[in-house]
Order: sequence, then structure tokens, then C-alpha cells
Amino acid sequence: MNLESFLLLSLVLFSLGLFAVLAHRNLIAVLIGVELMMNAASLNLMAFNRFSVTDPVTGQVFVLIIIGLAAAEVAIFLSIILNLYRTRRTIDAEQLTELKG
Amino acid sequence: MELGVQYLFVALVLVGGGMAALSRHVLYNIVGLGISLFGMAGLFLQLGSPFVAAMQLLIYLGGITVAIVFAMMLSIAMTLDPPTRTPVKTGFAAVAALTFGVGLHGLIGTASFAAAPPAPTDAWAVAHIGSALLERYNLVFETLSVVLLLAIIGAILIARPDRRGDAA
Repeated sequence: MNLESFLLLSLVLFSLGLFAVLAHRNLIAVLIGVELMMNAASLNLMAFNRFSVTDPVTGQVFVLIIIGLAAAEVAIFLSIILNLYRTRRTIDAEQLTELKG
Repeated sequence: MELGVQYLFVALVLVGGGMAALSRHVLYNIVGLGISLFGMAGLFLQLGSPFVAAMQLLIYLGGITVAIVFAMMLSIAMTLDPPTRTPVKTGFAAVAALTFGVGLHGLIGTASFAAAPPAPTDAWAVAHIGSALLERYNLVFETLSVVLLLAIIGAILIARPDRRGDAA
């Protein structure tokens, strides 16, 4: 497989993640869409790292940083979801409208 | 043989991603995410980096997916009725995602990427990643550790049930 096919795969994955974020009402499903988009970005970086970079360390470090940041993001997101569920008894994104103008 | 394995991993990524994005049930979404992450780790292996593939399996598949399952069980999202989707919202989401995908596909078609000479095989060794993390990317490494610490403390503070001294 060449660089373009990897880019196409990550493009499809990113679009799927975007659709999940926009279409789902359950906040956990929205989080899963965000994870799909982050993985598409990681795959992109690894493909460029393999095919068009002379020093292959850079992309690998980049992807490791992305994985670490995703772990932090998921921890915060899940604690917010748990707190929401305890105080509002719902994790439906369309019922959380206190800040709606 | 090599190509067959790659196509197998690509199929895993696509099937898992489709399950994660399109299914109505949260548990199926999580299982799809796990399948997709597994296929992605295989692709990282095929792209020449066993270390990143192992980290993907350990942290993403073993940590993040399990954490999402825990949150789902604690918030009883499974037993709730799956929220009914409005077709208008689904339609707009599909149009937005398709527009984005087609536009970016056009951009990729116009771009030309210079191919680099293949790096020597010992440049992919794990020792290089370790020394790069502690020498050239030292600041990024330390910043990431501070971010993780802050995320742990913040998650505990947000999710703690009883907050004494809280006016609300």
C-alpha cells in the first residue's frame, strides 16, 4: 500500500468520526466519534512518517504524544459525563440546554 | 501474503469504524471502536513501528476502551432507551461529513508528496525513540506528564460526589 491509500483510509475514518459526533445524541457515542477522528490523525502521521520523512523518530514521538493526550482527554470527558449523569440523570446531548441563548 | 495481511487490517479498521459511527447502541459503538483500534495497531505494525503498535494496544485498547465501558456501566447508558434520532439531524450530519470527505479527497488529489529515500532499518529501533524523548523532545515529554497529572486531579475533582464547601 502506498501513501495515498493510507491517506484515503484515514480520510474515511475521519469522516465517520465527524458523522458520529454530529449525529449521535448519547454523549458516550460522541466521545467515541472524537476517538475515531484522533486515530485517523495518528494513522495519517504514521503514514507520512513511513513514506516521506527521512528521520522516522519524529512521527512516532508525535503519535505517542497523541495517545497520551487522548488518555487525558478521555479521563476528563468521562468524569464530566459521570457528574452530568448524577446531577441531571441524563447524558442526552440535546437535553443539556442551560446555556442555550 | 504481506498485502493480504494489510487488507485484513484495513478491513478491520473500516468495519470497526462503521460499527462505532453508525450503530444505534452504545455497547456496539464501543465494540466497534475496539475493533477499529486493533486494526489500527496492526497497520502501525505494517508501517514499521512495533513500539507504537504496542502502545496503541496497551493504552488505547486496554485503557481507554475499558474506561469508556466503565463510564457506560456507571451511567446506565445501556439500560436507557436509545434516543430516537431525528432524520433531519442525521441527514445534516451525513451531508456535513460527506462534504468534508469529498473536499479533503479533492485536496489530497491535487497535492503531491515528495517521497523520501527509505531510512536505514536501524533508525526504527526503540532506542532511538527513547533517546529522542529524553533529548530532543524533552520539553514535550515533560509537558505531557504535567498534563496527565492535571487530568487525573481534575477528573477526581469533577467526579467526586460530595463536595464540602460547595455553595451549590
